Amino acid sequence: MAGITDLGVGIGWRSEIDLTVERLPGVDFVEVVAENLHIGHLPESVTLLLERGIPVLPHAVSLSLGGADEVDLKRVQHLGEIAEAVGAPMVSDHVCFVRAGGLDSGHLMPVPRTKDALDVLVANVRLAQRNLPVPLALENVAALLEWPDGELSEGQFLAELVERTDCWLLVDVANLYANARNIGTDPERFLDEIPLERLAYVHVAGGEQHGDVYHDTHAHAVLPEVLGVLDELCSRVRPPGVLLERDDNYPSDTEIASELAAIRAVVDKHRG
Amino acid sequence: MVTPMTSQTTQLSAEQVGYLTAGPGRAAEAALARLIDAGLVRVSRDGLVTAVHSNNHGATTSVEARILSYSRTAVRFDTIVQSTANSTEMAQLHRHLLDRRLMQRPRRRHEAWWFSLAIAGGLVVLGFSTPAFFVGVPIALLFFAWQRGRGPVTKAGKEVLRPVSASDRVYAVALYGFCGKVGGHRVGDLFELSQSVVKMIPLKRQRARKSSSDGGGCGSASSCSSCGSGCGSSSSSCSSSSSSCSSSGSSCGGGGGCGGGGGGD
Ligand SMILES: [Fe+2]
Repeated sequence: MAGITDLGVGIGWRSEIDLTVERLPGVDFVEVVAENLHIGHLPESVTLLLERGIPVLPHAVSLSLGGADEVDLKRVQHLGEIAEAVGAPMVSDHVCFVRAGGLDSGHLMPVPRTKDALDVLVANVRLAQRNLPVPLALENVAALLEWPDGELSEGQFLAELVERTDCWLLVDVANLYANARNIGTDPERFLDEIPLERLAYVHVAGGEQHGDVYHDTHAHAVLPEVLGVLDELCSRVRPPGVLLERDDNYPSDTEIASELAAIRAVVDKHRG
Repeated sequence: MVTPMTSQTTQLSAEQVGYLTAGPGRAAEAALARLIDAGLVRVSRDGLVTAVHSNNHGATTSVEARILSYSRTAVRFDTIVQSTANSTEMAQLHRHLLDRRLMQRPRRRHEAWWFSLAIAGGLVVLGFSTPAFFVGVPIALLFFAWQRGRGPVTKAGKEVLRPVSASDRVYAVALYGFCGKVGGHRVGDLFELSQSVVKMIPLKRQRARKSSSDGGGCGSASSCSSCGSGCGSSSSSCSSSSSSCSSSGSSCGGGGGCGGGGGGD
């Protein structure tokens, strides 16, 4: 993908930590939640980062591309407008659904890994792509349950999605780790099966183990095991970018800086 | 004037200085300033305050603990200042200052007003039978006016405030508020706070009385630089000679800057 071959190491921009993001050393790019931004009045902090030449990538959470409901083109249009407003080289959302039958789940729900569900997803992704000014990347989600009668592994499902839509992949290694812990996904097999040449960038996030269940909270420190999955990924491909997602319980600037440094260390280890 | 980032050693904590200078609103601002200074809370560009740790870690006073627990989820800058100013923890701080006789109870002040008015009234009545009593009426009224003009800060309170200066940014907030000025610099700038955040602290009508230690304050930046009947006109001298300013209690401490709302005593 032209223009974003090397995003570097970034962090999710959130209004609560805007000054922190501006101050942090070594932030090469940021991601903004598209639904939180409004055309015509971008946050001052985002404008400042853009002026500094920091790429800003819109990340959506509400397109519900895996859902059976019709894609809400107003949401797609908003995402596209935000992309144009910040001059983003691409946008992203998740392989999931967040609405069904008019109800909002409030969560990123996993899609059943069946051929039929894939057909629906592919149709929705194509429709979104036709209405977006920039390429679309799609992210693997953390699932606490697996739908029955799955016909494909998660890696195969994403590989087929990429093949049929030409979308990009946003691999969240914390979600991958969560699925390994909670539903038995094999991270290595996942990385073997997905087309790594279509990797747009990587998400890293923190979580917490509660008994047998790993909670992908984005509100706790990044576990060494998650960095281990990143290490595994980096041993196979040089990711164009790696981004730290933190959505709540924001720690001190120092702690955030050290998490970014730990991510950079893993990435640099494989750059030789 | 270069204002160091670290806090000074003094007999009074910044929040106590804030309370004595301009009331509970200012004390809340001072406590918040201490927490920002220590990296225990962060303030965003649009004025959202969030605690950095989730367990009140780092609080050195109950007022600070109150701010930390209240800001576990993001809360507006002005909301936290006002709610802290009106909190039971702040009432405890007030009681502590009363116990140390650095402040006096409002009821005693009111009693003194009524006493002097009653004397004046009595003298008027007596004056009709013995006109010589009329001579005492202006004296009683003068006494009433003097009592009215007295602030809640005692002589001892003013005495202990005298050596306090804006030697660091936390004490700068205690003495002048986030929207005040020190040495020609905006105090808010010392914390990288934008004026839009600082201006969130609502404008409170100044009371007729000079001392704002009852909690009156002014928050809007426009009035901030010159707010307060006593301090306002001398805000520039306030900032350039902080110690003399703060020590002059009734004139300057009493006019004091942006108190950040909060109820009176
Ligand atoms: Fe993610």
